[in-house]
Amino acid sequence: MAAVLPQQSNAGTYTFASQPRAVKQRKKYRDPLQQTEVGEEDATGMYGNIMYDRRIVRGNTYAQHTLPAHAQPDPIEIQRQQENRRRAIARKRAKDQLRPRSPDPVEGRKHIDVQTELYLEELSDRVEEADVECQTDAFLDRPPSPLFIQAKTGVDIATQIIEGDLFDFDVEVKPILEVIVGKTVEQSLLEVMEEEELANLRQQQRAFEELRNAELVEQQRLEEQERRHREEKERRMKQQREVLRKEKETAEKIAARAFAQSYLADLVPSVFGTLSDNGYFYDPVERDVEQGFLPWLMEQVEDQLERNQHGRMVLDGMLREVVAKRIELYRKLEEMAPSQGPGSHSASAIFGDKLSGELAATATTTESEEGEKPAEEAAEQPPATEGTEEAGEAPEQTPADEEAPAADE
Amino acid sequence: MDQTKRPLHIPPEFAMYAEKHGLFDMYKQLIEQLIINRPEDPIAFLVDLLNRDTLDVPQIMILGPPAAGKRSISKMVATKLRCTHLTPENLVQEADPKLRDQIEDLMAKKATVPTEMWVSALKERMKMFDCVKKGWVLEGFPQTREQALALQELGIYPKHCVVLDAPDTVLIERAAGKRVDPKTGDVYHTTFEWPSSAEIQGRLEEGKGQNEPEMVEKLVEYHRHSDAIGRCFASSIKVINADQPKADVFSQALAFLQSQPRSNSPQTPRIVLLGPTGSGKGVQASLLANKYNIVKVSCGQLIKQAITQETKAGLAAKPYVEKDRMMPDGIVLNILKERLCQLDCQTRGWVLSGYPRTREQAEQLGKAGLAPNRVFFLEVPNDSVIERLTQRATDPVTGERYHMLYNPPPTQEVKARLDRHPQDQEEAVRKRLAQYHAYVEEISDYYLDAQHVIADQDPHTVFECLESMTVKPLPKRY
Repeated sequence: MAAVLPQQSNAGTYTFASQPRAVKQRKKYRDPLQQTEVGEEDATGMYGNIMYDRRIVRGNTYAQHTLPAHAQPDPIEIQRQQENRRRAIARKRAKDQLRPRSPDPVEGRKHIDVQTELYLEELSDRVEEADVECQTDAFLDRPPSPLFIQAKTGVDIATQIIEGDLFDFDVEVKPILEVIVGKTVEQSLLEVMEEEELANLRQQQRAFEELRNAELVEQQRLEEQERRHREEKERRMKQQREVLRKEKETAEKIAARAFAQSYLADLVPSVFGTLSDNGYFYDPVERDVEQGFLPWLMEQVEDQLERNQHGRMVLDGMLREVVAKRIELYRKLEEMAPSQGPGSHSASAIFGDKLSGELAATATTTESEEGEKPAEEAAEQPPATEGTEEAGEAPEQTPADEEAPAADE
Repeated sequence: MDQTKRPLHIPPEFAMYAEKHGLFDMYKQLIEQLIINRPEDPIAFLVDLLNRDTLDVPQIMILGPPAAGKRSISKMVATKLRCTHLTPENLVQEADPKLRDQIEDLMAKKATVPTEMWVSALKERMKMFDCVKKGWVLEGFPQTREQALALQELGIYPKHCVVLDAPDTVLIERAAGKRVDPKTGDVYHTTFEWPSSAEIQGRLEEGKGQNEPEMVEKLVEYHRHSDAIGRCFASSIKVINADQPKADVFSQALAFLQSQPRSNSPQTPRIVLLGPTGSGKGVQASLLANKYNIVKVSCGQLIKQAITQETKAGLAAKPYVEKDRMMPDGIVLNILKERLCQLDCQTRGWVLSGYPRTREQAEQLGKAGLAPNRVFFLEVPNDSVIERLTQRATDPVTGERYHMLYNPPPTQEVKARLDRHPQDQEEAVRKRLAQYHAYVEEISDYYLDAQHVIADQDPHTVFECLESMTVKPLPKRY
């Protein structure tokens, strides 16, 4: 299909929806040379004159039988056809009925159909059939065009050359020969020269090669030397680097050690200082004194004081008794001699004073005792072991003290 | 090593590494433990100690008279510092059954428990894993000097010893209101510390032995021993007044517990002073440099020096200064690094004022190997700054500097010819203050160990404060 090319629309003319093109004619024979490709455009197609094309309808077309516009048959048409058919059948039936028939056969006879034509024809139910096939020939390639041999035109003429007509060989050949030989010799001389030249060249080359080899060897030797030097240098440098690294490490280690030494110089004294501050190290003598000697001393002091206390209590008791007895005695004396007068009175009064004085004296001695003991206790504060003992003692003492004044009174 | 050809050069990184990891203290503790334990294989013992990594755990003793609040404070400290809480009661309960029975017998009979039993129970308890790993708070023990000395002989000693002290009358009054929760062992008080949940309130019972004569007895006994015990722990003791609200007591105790004992480790001070303009950074830096013979490095001055000397960095910095714009960090850092990496700075130490100004600068300083080990923020309120700066002036004739309030000029004549620096105008000062406040937050986030000092006081007072913070080791952060 030719592509649809949009056409410029001028005013007045109309455009085609598709470009008008000539209708192609098909060739009779398939062109063996042309490759059949799908979609290839046949630019140089065969065009035929449509005036002589059989496919085109000629004459006016309004009386032509055309196919209906749509494939479906018109229902009216269908109906009409059906009616026609029905009518035809009915007509045939009627005709059959109207057809004159031969009368029925008489009894005992039968009607037989007989052919009455000139030539008899065998009738049989079985219709003889014959299959006949017909096949168009296979597509033929276009046969090659027959060779075109032109009809012969022109006139034949012949001619003959005899020896000695054209040239004399012996005379003519000499210069040619000279030239040929000369050229050949020249050529061979040239070749020989070339060979000599080549040989010279090769010799020169060889000489040059030798020189070159020598130099190459020298170069390799130098290279080797250079390589050895380089390796040696590398090795030495590596060694040196190692040495430097070791030195640095050593320097660092020494620095670290020096630093650590200086940093921790004060370590041990401060450790011992802290421990002794916190009391881990103590003077054993002091500890022993504190824990062994002083408690013992306090105990002994307590014992002694208790003994003193007891002694005084006993003395107090004794004095009290004596005083009481004397009071009794003097009372009895007074009762016996009430008329003795003021002398005895005063004596008893004096005695009474003396009594109270003695009682006061005993009271003061016990008080001074009590004064001593708390003073001693206050002086000796850390008797740790005595804590419980003293606690036991203090309540002991206070009831003892309470007893004494109570007894005194 | 040769003094002339190859002199010994100790790289400063050694010192910084040692300081960063506290090598001196670590070694000290290792050797102390070695001396106390005297193992057969010292190396294996040391390796074990290092692996356990328990050289920094808290070891605290809390002592005080009855009703001083030891139980409450010990519990709070134990929860805050996440260490085990040991009291005489739970020592007995968790002791070996035989020992426990013996002790309970004696206590039932009201006889004194011998020191050896207490000490052995404590020793066993302290060897247990949780005491070793987390540390311990020992409350209310030792009660007598003998017990204290026995503990010391074994090498058990506290790193901090807190004594809660209060007048006797207060204690007796407090004891009357003391209530104990029998299930948890918490101590509450009817007036000061009443529990919020009704369930606990229902459970509370009166503590035993809290009536007045018993309290008097207990107090007498406590006073008898307290002085002696105090002398045992003289190196690590601190007395806190217990007659304050519980929170105050706890905060004081915590401040003490965070402080670390003076260490003998040698260190080079690398101090950074930060603060708004006019807070006295330059003054303090000069005082510190003079007293401790360290190098004073002032960022602004270094830049000016570099510009005048026309060094490479100075030339790079010049255009920025001329246009009065902020310089890119790289140039400033280069100038500073050049100065700080010189030998005298590295050996003597340095005090730097006015740098870093942003978090990136701080990070770069750290990366350059110049991280400071003390950072101080001098805090002054804005009004003080403005007062200090706007009132100062110089006498152009004599060169003396005066301040209208703090150092007024002697005569009227001098006062008339005084001149003020254009940068001391209030506007300029406010601008610089705003700049400072913009970055101070992020820098305090970066330097977590920084200490804030109130700089609104007499310079010598501030100097003493800075001094003490420099010389003492940094407090531990919990």
